Amino acid sequence: MKNKNSKEITSIGIDVGTTTTQMVVSRLTVCNTAPGSAVPRMAITGKEVIYRSGIHFTPLASRELIDTQAVTEIISREYHQAGITPDRVDTGAVIITGETARKENARGLLNDLSGFAGNFVVATAGPLLESIIAGRGAGAAALSSELHRNVLNIDVGGGTSNLAVFEEGRPVDATCINIGGRLIEIEPGGERLAYITPAGRVVLEESGMELDTGDIISVDQVRAVTSVMAGAIKSLLSSRPLPQVSRCLMMGPPLRLDYPIHIVTFSGGVSDFVYSGEEICNVREGSRYGDIGPFLGEALREAFSGESRQLVKPRETIRATVIGAGAHTLNLSGSTIKVSRGILPLRNVPVVKPFPGAIPPLPGDLAGGLAKQMRPYWLGGYKEPVAIALRGMDGAGFKKLQGIAAAVAAATRNYVKSGQPLVLILEEDCAKVMGQMLAAILGDEAGIICLDQLNVADGDYIDIGEPIMEDTVVPVIIKTIVFEG
Amino acid sequence: MHEDQIRKIVQAVISQMTVGDKEAEQEKPESKPEPGIKQQAKQQAVSPENVCAPNNEAGDEDLEDLSAVDLQKEILVPEPCDRAALEYFKQSTPARIGVWRCGTRPLTRTLLRFRADHAAAQDAVFKEISEDAPAGFDLVRVQSAVKDQDEYLTRPDLGKTLPEEELEKIRRECPAKPDVQIIIADGLSTTAVEANLADILPALKQGLASYNLKTGRDILVKFGRVDIMDVIGRALEAEVVVLLVGERPGLGTSESMSAYMVYKPGPDTVVADHMVVSNIHKGGMPPAEAGAHLATVVKKIYDAKASGVKLTRQ
Repeated sequence: MKNKNSKEITSIGIDVGTTTTQMVVSRLTVCNTAPGSAVPRMAITGKEVIYRSGIHFTPLASRELIDTQAVTEIISREYHQAGITPDRVDTGAVIITGETARKENARGLLNDLSGFAGNFVVATAGPLLESIIAGRGAGAAALSSELHRNVLNIDVGGGTSNLAVFEEGRPVDATCINIGGRLIEIEPGGERLAYITPAGRVVLEESGMELDTGDIISVDQVRAVTSVMAGAIKSLLSSRPLPQVSRCLMMGPPLRLDYPIHIVTFSGGVSDFVYSGEEICNVREGSRYGDIGPFLGEALREAFSGESRQLVKPRETIRATVIGAGAHTLNLSGSTIKVSRGILPLRNVPVVKPFPGAIPPLPGDLAGGLAKQMRPYWLGGYKEPVAIALRGMDGAGFKKLQGIAAAVAAATRNYVKSGQPLVLILEEDCAKVMGQMLAAILGDEAGIICLDQLNVADGDYIDIGEPIMEDTVVPVIIKTIVFEG
Repeated sequence: MHEDQIRKIVQAVISQMTVGDKEAEQEKPESKPEPGIKQQAKQQAVSPENVCAPNNEAGDEDLEDLSAVDLQKEILVPEPCDRAALEYFKQSTPARIGVWRCGTRPLTRTLLRFRADHAAAQDAVFKEISEDAPAGFDLVRVQSAVKDQDEYLTRPDLGKTLPEEELEKIRRECPAKPDVQIIIADGLSTTAVEANLADILPALKQGLASYNLKTGRDILVKFGRVDIMDVIGRALEAEVVVLLVGERPGLGTSESMSAYMVYKPGPDTVVADHMVVSNIHKGGMPPAEAGAHLATVVKKIYDAKASGVKLTRQ
């Protein structure tokens, strides 16, 4: 079905995690879903994973160093295998997750890889965004809107467990804890401890064990340790005060829990052992991947089995994060927008939402409030583009919008004069008329990007791609870091 | 003609729309019947007088204004076993779903709401555009060959023609050969014109100005149907003609407006040369945003020197 009304986008997802490195190629279909006589309404109507890479161990040059060259080689081989070239990639995300993201040359890796991921790439994740991406990729977000039930996805990887709660497909909460299958490494197929991460030492101490690298660990000891780890994860779902070990290992704020959780899903490398029901008899058998992942999966199954919450296996498990990165990070703006030429793409633009709720009704208050809120960002000069997010224009007529445009123009005049683009993100469908108003006030030479029908929060970062579908929409990646309660 | 007859005609027009007869009229080419509405419309047509409404002894001032209730937020099922799902379904469609009792005995509340919406649709059709409305615009006012409201509803052909003296007036008062000629017609909903014009017209003109497209003087046609845009466009030799017209009202809203566009109408212009953007109202495409969007479409037509199917084929 190739016609003017639909476009296929090739998207790459690359996940370089603590334990594994993976890549997927997906094909997203963007289509006009409005009837012929209505204003176009572009939407992503299809998401299909067309290539799944093998699951490679992340090559490390040393404990602290990713072997960037080896990773780049893996990706290069996978591109070849998938029969795809970088110039055919429209969008995508490279995500460095878990412990690896903290390692010193993660940034260098991103630079090496950006040549492979086309011209529109998310470079960084951060633990909370990772949680959301994994939950979307696992299918937990879709499950929540299919069943109208809140779904908590726990992505348990090598270094971290990423928790995200979805309600009607939307992420409502997320957190991350430094617990994973690779906190303690065992010689593959053996019983001797090969490495213990700092977080691994915390859980060992909590279990009352004094083990060190080179010691032999018994099956009961492994079970005791993984049971402490599973308990630490489970404690995050309870409103009781967090135990010491959880507090110690948290990598984000605890879950708010001001919503019910109906369904729990597990994804990530460890999750396969949650659902397999496989009994592990001895350490040699459980250590085949060189870590305690299989035991952790078993411990989690036990910890969550007597729960009132339903335990469901999600659509994707070990590939959740990479599929999330490749197929679920892209949004589309509204289909009537204003985009000045030659400015896009823009990456990592910080979002400022000057008013937490609706904008003040009086233009004077709006202009004053805007100027006040923007001052801290502009104290040191206009160094980088800033996106201003506004909401509360529902049902606003031409006159009211004109008042708002005048106020925005007044508050941003010097910023625009400095040559920075005015990026405005509106919740309600009025970007095109607002953009034309701003152009009428600020002049044609002003760079104006006016988008709508996007929900962003203060503190988000956004990537805005070049317009597609005859300039009607732009692809947007919203990197959410905080949640509104 | 008797009022009864007129009402019958209007009923016929409205039920035609709800069963989605696309050929019958041009004012609303993409009518999308909602299954719920369709069913109810049939019930209504069969035996509206058989359904009892309770005697309410309370004074008018104590009565709830049913038409002010947001149907998509109203949960009529007393104890839904999955309220969240029901709310979600209601949000996803303006159709009257989840009304708790169906078949031949709807709840009084549902029935009254249906009648209220039906009445609003009738009002929109019957109301004549007043002499001074819409206020605040510099409009050249003309009237089609239709004499009065009765004739307007019974003689669609006359609503498409402009008497010679009115054409003269247009030639006299409007500059010829504009880039874009904007025409406003009441069509089948005066309410739509009154509700949207103040937002859509300035937005459209602002957009056109940003593309350096010149408009002439805007024209308001009383008792006007869609085809009248070609008559006026030819008289003024306009490059592009835009007609803002009230859509045939439905049970969802009586405020919906359509915008028709055509490139340089002439003797060879056919229906397929026209383009339309429909569903413009505050619950559909917001009028101000629609105006801005229309300007882009007009610019495309102007640059391509073609509209409708000819433009799509380019």
